[in-house]
Amino acid sequence: MAQNNTEQKITREQFLSLARLARLSFSEEESEDFIRGFEEMISFCDGINSEIEGDASTIREVGSREIALDDLREDSVCPSLPNEKILSNVQGEHGYFSVKRVVK
Amino acid sequence: MKYQLVSGFETHVELATDTKIFCGCSTKFGASPNTHCCPVCTGQPGALPVLNKKVVEYAIRAGLATHCTINTITHLDRKNYCYPDLPKAYQISQFDKPLCEHGYVELESGKKIRLTRIHIEEDAGKLVHERGHTLIDYNRGGVPLIEIVSEPDISSPEEAREYVEKLQLIMRYIGVSDCKMQEGSMRCDVNISLCPEGSDVLGTRTEIKNMNSITFIERAMAYEAERQAEILDAGGKVEQATMRFDEATGETYVMRTKEDAQDYRYFPEPDLLTVHIPKERVEEIAASLPELPLEKLRRYTGELGISQHNARLLYKYKAVCDFFEACLALGAGAKNTANLILGTVYSTLATEEEKEAFDIKVSAGDMAALVKYVDGGKINVTLAQMTLAKMLKEGGALSQYITESDLAGVSEEQLISLCREAIANNPKAAEDYLAGKQKAIGGLFGYIKRATQGKADIRRAEEIIKGLLSQK
Ligand SMILES: [Zn+2]
Repeated sequence: MAQNNTEQKITREQFLSLARLARLSFSEEESEDFIRGFEEMISFCDGINSEIEGDASTIREVGSREIALDDLREDSVCPSLPNEKILSNVQGEHGYFSVKRVVK
Repeated sequence: MKYQLVSGFETHVELATDTKIFCGCSTKFGASPNTHCCPVCTGQPGALPVLNKKVVEYAIRAGLATHCTINTITHLDRKNYCYPDLPKAYQISQFDKPLCEHGYVELESGKKIRLTRIHIEEDAGKLVHERGHTLIDYNRGGVPLIEIVSEPDISSPEEAREYVEKLQLIMRYIGVSDCKMQEGSMRCDVNISLCPEGSDVLGTRTEIKNMNSITFIERAMAYEAERQAEILDAGGKVEQATMRFDEATGETYVMRTKEDAQDYRYFPEPDLLTVHIPKERVEEIAASLPELPLEKLRRYTGELGISQHNARLLYKYKAVCDFFEACLALGAGAKNTANLILGTVYSTLATEEEKEAFDIKVSAGDMAALVKYVDGGKINVTLAQMTLAKMLKEGGALSQYITESDLAGVSEEQLISLCREAIANNPKAAEDYLAGKQKAIGGLFGYIKRATQGKADIRRAEEIIKGLLSQK
């Protein structure tokens, strides 16, 4: 990896904020693990960035690919999946998905 | 202190497409839970969204009908948040390149409520909270929405009502949504702040979420303005917050404050391509727009000379306007057509939905012919009303109801002799009337109506009878 590893790329606060937004909780040990993992991912992207610097022709931005209005999907109904199939991997109840109550 | 209310609206409108925004599942309302679902709209790993063309077209229609500029290059963005109504843990929406921008909705006073933007997005699933758990129905998940964001140009609950009603009408006229607030196909988030009268410093605003009735919007706004004024008068500060309106108590309460404001981490949606809309297509859509509600209302009261009251009752329903205008195109007079629709036809259409659908047994052709008989003095209004009422009930062609002899009418001589007969046959009614009982004359009219099967001009008969009686 070309980047300087001593510079911290993700702070503990940033990690905790992301965890909160994702409604996930982590133990002290897990947090350390994840922060290290995130750092590696960011370093990997920085690596790509430095590789392509000066030669933008090798990359394409997501938004640069276009589709014309008339090539979009027509508005015609396709069959949906049967209810049993939709609920086959979850805890269902009277045809609904069921989770722990989310409001007080 | 006196304050000025400052309010902006974010209005979600469900588009009336047959399928969802990113998959071919049906959008029909009222199906059993989780029966309009597939891997795409339940966020299964690996499933990819495909944008529905009609959603973009409808959103452009909505934008053009509200005087927006259409961005011909537009893309979708991912709005991240974790809540069980979103199976993917993100909503596909638009952030920095909304489809439509810089429009307005005009009120009857001429005031324009500016629109910041209109963007497309997917609706979330529906949650039912029960004891101990929450049930989720993803039928609504992925139903296409437009979000219409206004500038803070609304300055009273009454203006808010008119703004929402006008938006509703516009969307119905252009056929992009039924805007049924009670079914949730139109919902408003209302931002409210106060500023001291005469000042232009905006106060801290609160937002009342998810309002689905115009009456409740008015009430919630009035309550919230009052609440904020009390805080400010006591020297306090309004806290920026998201509120809910409790329909039972008529009060607003804080749902969350600024501290727990969401960070949506928007980024361009990598699963969808940027959409390019050729300028000619925008022009085509613009050319296909019908006359808009406010223009129609002004034309009805102006050019057509219909009273404000009547014009308002007509223009609320697009299907009624179409029928009314079809009659006019066939040569029927505006006033008599309007009166027959508002009187006789409306009395058979009890609900808003029935008027909206305007599914009646009388064709515009027969209606126009009937009105023309009245316009030309061939039959009187009473007979026209009776005939129309029968046709509405039993169907069939006008010629089955109005015969040649009906059209012959009742001549002045016939009417005078009938009036004499009526008085001679009802001496008691005549005496009572002469003794001052105004109502007694009704018995004489009844006689004439029966004798002529309603064809006689009762107003003329009244003149004749009064003349005859005064000679007594
Ligand atoms: Zn689907």
